Amino acid sequence: MTPAEFATAAEAHRAYLMRVAVLQLRDRDTAADVVQDTLVAALAGQASFTGRSTLKTWLTGILKHKIVDAIRQRQRQPVALATLGDELDLDDFDSLFNDRGAWDEPPADWGDPESALGRGQFISILDLCLDRLPPNTARVFVMREVMELESDEICKELAITANNLWVILYRARMSLRMCLEQNGFTGAA
Amino acid sequence: MSCKQASRLISQQEDFPLPGWKRLLLRLHLAACDGCTRFARQIAVLREAMARYRT
Repeated sequence: MTPAEFATAAEAHRAYLMRVAVLQLRDRDTAADVVQDTLVAALAGQASFTGRSTLKTWLTGILKHKIVDAIRQRQRQPVALATLGDELDLDDFDSLFNDRGAWDEPPADWGDPESALGRGQFISILDLCLDRLPPNTARVFVMREVMELESDEICKELAITANNLWVILYRARMSLRMCLEQNGFTGAA
Repeated sequence: MSCKQASRLISQQEDFPLPGWKRLLLRLHLAACDGCTRFARQIAVLREAMARYRT
């Protein structure tokens, strides 16, 4: 691939990189800078792209480091527990269970991942649902599921406990599955 | 184990290894509970969805 072709290919992922950066950093200006730095670094490092992963994955890897740098430049703002507030609340999902702790309404059968994700539009519905997550929850979920950081790395980076982490991720997953179902992502074949 | 507890463990095990006895209790619950089995599958779909989101 010529540098020009590579640049075009990388640029095509700008919107995706922005979505991820904004979910992580919450500040669009910083996110835009980080994405720009990422694309610049990608072009400079074209030689090191072996094609063993997809371009998107490779770019995500560079983005991850740039985001971590940006967070560190902000003095690695640990998430103050006070700001987590509602985002640590387990009770929000109590209404899904009856007083014996059983499902009030059993979860729908989404089938296996292959068929479930084969139904169109799931990325745009997923995007919509990710946007609806509260800020700290989104940040943590993206660190785990997009940046693929290990749990202890996330706890260290954000100065939260393992307990905080599982609660936040539980809330994220519970919210996302509910949102996905509400927006037409069902097991209906 | 209630479904509420099971749902928490199903999520937790994505990120932290569960101690053996909790894993066993969860397995036993899942063997008897369609709802939680479906929930576990939803979590697996969500995980796969995120994998596709980033690749």
